[in-house]
Amino acid sequence: MNSVLGFGFLVLGLTASVLGTAGGAYALLTQRLELLKTVRQWTLLVGVAALGAFVVMEVALFQRDFSVSYVAQVGSWATPPMFNFAALWSSLEGSLLLWTLVLAGYLVAVLFKFRDRHDDPLFGWALVIMLAVSSFFFILLVGPANPFVSVEVPADFVEQGPNPLLQNHLLMAFHPPMLYLGYVGFTVPFAFAAAALITGRVGEGWLVATRRWTVAAWGFLTAGILLGAWWSYEVLGWGGYWAWDPVENASLLPWLTGTAFIHSVMVQERRGMLRVWNLSLLCATFSLTILGTFLTRSGVVESVHAFSNGAIGPFLLAFFAVVTALSVGLIAWRGDELRSPGAIDSPVSREGSFLANNVLFGALAFVVMLGTVFPLLAELWDGSRLTIGRPYFDSMARPIGLTVLFLMAAAPVLPWRRASTELLTTRLFWPTVAGVGAMALSVALGGRGFYPVLTFGLGGFAAGAAGRQLGLATRRQGISGLVGRTNGGMIVHIGVVLVAVGMAASASYESDRTFELKIGESVSMGGHEFRYLEPGADINDRRLRAYALIEIDGGDVYAPATTRYRQQGMIVPTPSVRTGFTEDVYLVLDGAPAPEDDSIRLRVILSPMVAWIWAGGMLMALGTLFALFPGSRRRPIDPTSLAIHTSGKPTPPSDPEQPEDPQQPEDRTSAVVGNG
Amino acid sequence: MSAVNPQSWRPLAYAGLMAAALGLLLVASFGGGGHESELERVQRLNDSFACPVCDGESVAASNTAVSANIRQFIDEQVQAGSTDQEIRDALLAAYKVDILLNPPADGFAGLVWILPVVMGSLGAVAAAAAMTRARRAGRKATDDDRRLVEEARQVVVE
Repeated sequence: MNSVLGFGFLVLGLTASVLGTAGGAYALLTQRLELLKTVRQWTLLVGVAALGAFVVMEVALFQRDFSVSYVAQVGSWATPPMFNFAALWSSLEGSLLLWTLVLAGYLVAVLFKFRDRHDDPLFGWALVIMLAVSSFFFILLVGPANPFVSVEVPADFVEQGPNPLLQNHLLMAFHPPMLYLGYVGFTVPFAFAAAALITGRVGEGWLVATRRWTVAAWGFLTAGILLGAWWSYEVLGWGGYWAWDPVENASLLPWLTGTAFIHSVMVQERRGMLRVWNLSLLCATFSLTILGTFLTRSGVVESVHAFSNGAIGPFLLAFFAVVTALSVGLIAWRGDELRSPGAIDSPVSREGSFLANNVLFGALAFVVMLGTVFPLLAELWDGSRLTIGRPYFDSMARPIGLTVLFLMAAAPVLPWRRASTELLTTRLFWPTVAGVGAMALSVALGGRGFYPVLTFGLGGFAAGAAGRQLGLATRRQGISGLVGRTNGGMIVHIGVVLVAVGMAASASYESDRTFELKIGESVSMGGHEFRYLEPGADINDRRLRAYALIEIDGGDVYAPATTRYRQQGMIVPTPSVRTGFTEDVYLVLDGAPAPEDDSIRLRVILSPMVAWIWAGGMLMALGTLFALFPGSRRRPIDPTSLAIHTSGKPTPPSDPEQPEDPQQPEDRTSAVVGNG
Repeated sequence: MSAVNPQSWRPLAYAGLMAAALGLLLVASFGGGGHESELERVQRLNDSFACPVCDGESVAASNTAVSANIRQFIDEQVQAGSTDQEIRDALLAAYKVDILLNPPADGFAGLVWILPVVMGSLGAVAAAAAMTRARRAGRKATDDDRRLVEEARQVVVE
């Protein structure tokens, strides 16, 4: 019953997507815009179908309807309700179902948000492109990745349940949906960009219309990646959070190009420049979400996170090729109209710094991409097998990351057009003091090493510049000085600094050692004492959890464990972490306590300042949220690069910090409008 | 303080800050404790070998028995005073497969190091060229431009 119903919804979704795409394209090509009305109905139907399929799958999971192939694969009576709900995205077919639901959600949201522009061909084409993407995912679900295949339940059927690593922590319920909201969210600006190219309306209109969608998608992707890092830290039991694993890299790639885009897009909004570049970045971001899914879901790249492989590889590769070819073709076709009307006056300017930002993020994306696919290339070239891991990525990413931190300090104080040395030295003075102060503090506290101390210094520099901007904004606008794109962005910057500092400290000063301990014995490491009190076990019909009680510094008792999941026979470590502001004490059991004398092998990892990474991530999410609110300073389409003063005197080139000069009204454009 | 012209003291302050930053970096790089400790060395080595039986995980990251053994081996060798090269050779001899996480710098694999530098430089050159070209084009305002601006200004003031 569930199989039939679920598959029915998938067929409905596919039909509605294909008919919507075809009908919309026909209406737009023949200029019969009144036909677009049906496209809206098809779109709503896609939403209903995706939601229906999702609900049916959840119902099947809760009913443990093992006649549904996907439930037979990941369902089990032993799984607790929350993990059972999350089991939907614990394997390939279900992940695609979630992806499709999120895409359908975005489709309906776009339909609602732009309800007063339904006859606009730009909007029409955007909807058609999103429906085409949705058709592709429904094809996958109806064809090679159908989760609703009806199967016979054999008499000796053994329930599997989700992969133990995926039912071990609460974060599993949030990390994948968050990541997908990010990945799929980039479909919206991509669709509008392609629509702008098709209609020839390549000005800034589509950018302004989709600005918040892009920022929101970026925020979800950021939160998704950091939640993934947190999950990895809390579950995988190696004391780390980022391993430059192909799946992690696949999520980082669109984040890097997306980050480049949300910066360079400001140059286009303000100055009308970098049009081709911005379109390319957006198309690249969208294609990279597809390529990343291909790399990690097709089995071409081995990864510890690739929880499932299927037959969808060729489909994803073909879709990636089509998207890339269409993007390049459209951009080339409209090449002449995309020529920028302006030019960059000076490298020492806001737009110059955004350009530098793009070079850096582009270079980092290239490094990540190359390092991820290079083992494949090497194998194709001469059959050699090589592994590219953390040492490579670290040594390549470090100089780029440090330069980015430097730019994060300099860029926010730079005005548009050009900056004088005097202005720069004035504005950068306190950030420089903050940077040198951070270095002095870290050295005084015993921090050593060129890279970590330089990171702390540049972090202080960047945080100083962001703090300065926020200070100025709140001084003149009160609490509303924290919202808006610039100010929200500065909060994100401070979050990035916390993440960078946390990563530099934990990677540079981490220590890791394994001890053999008998009951009652204690060892010391890094100024802490660890005493093994006693072993214990906690058994239910899902798993056997063997733990050891470890007393840290004669105080709190922690219980690292190993858990054996009965159905899968798989043993996973369950680390126990004492989180602190300056240091995390991370305990992992290397195997269960020995049966003969209860002795254990205890791995102790001391990681300084890991908590700063999670705090920074939360700040980044908060800043993104604040950036979504309209700022009070200016509307995006107001002219500011050559504002006209009411007195008739020309004002100097626009500068976000003009209110520092009391002679000028706070918002010159509104003053002009008010008096005009 | 407010009576002092910032122009006069600021260069001096910047010079002082730069000197302090440089001094702090020197202390951080070469000062006491700047030398890699045994624990840090073990950590770095653990990070630089791949677990032989996993999919691309490092010895530090993996929880397999093999990795635990390699970690223990590295720990013992570091304490016994072996050099990085000795540890590396011993592990390569023992495991026979390529367990280096850092790709070699020669042959085809060398490209993985060179290409990013080439691409990064090209990007930087392209960005720089875009800016110099724009400046060389010399976009001085013409009389037509001034007339347009004046007209627009009249419209707004009225």
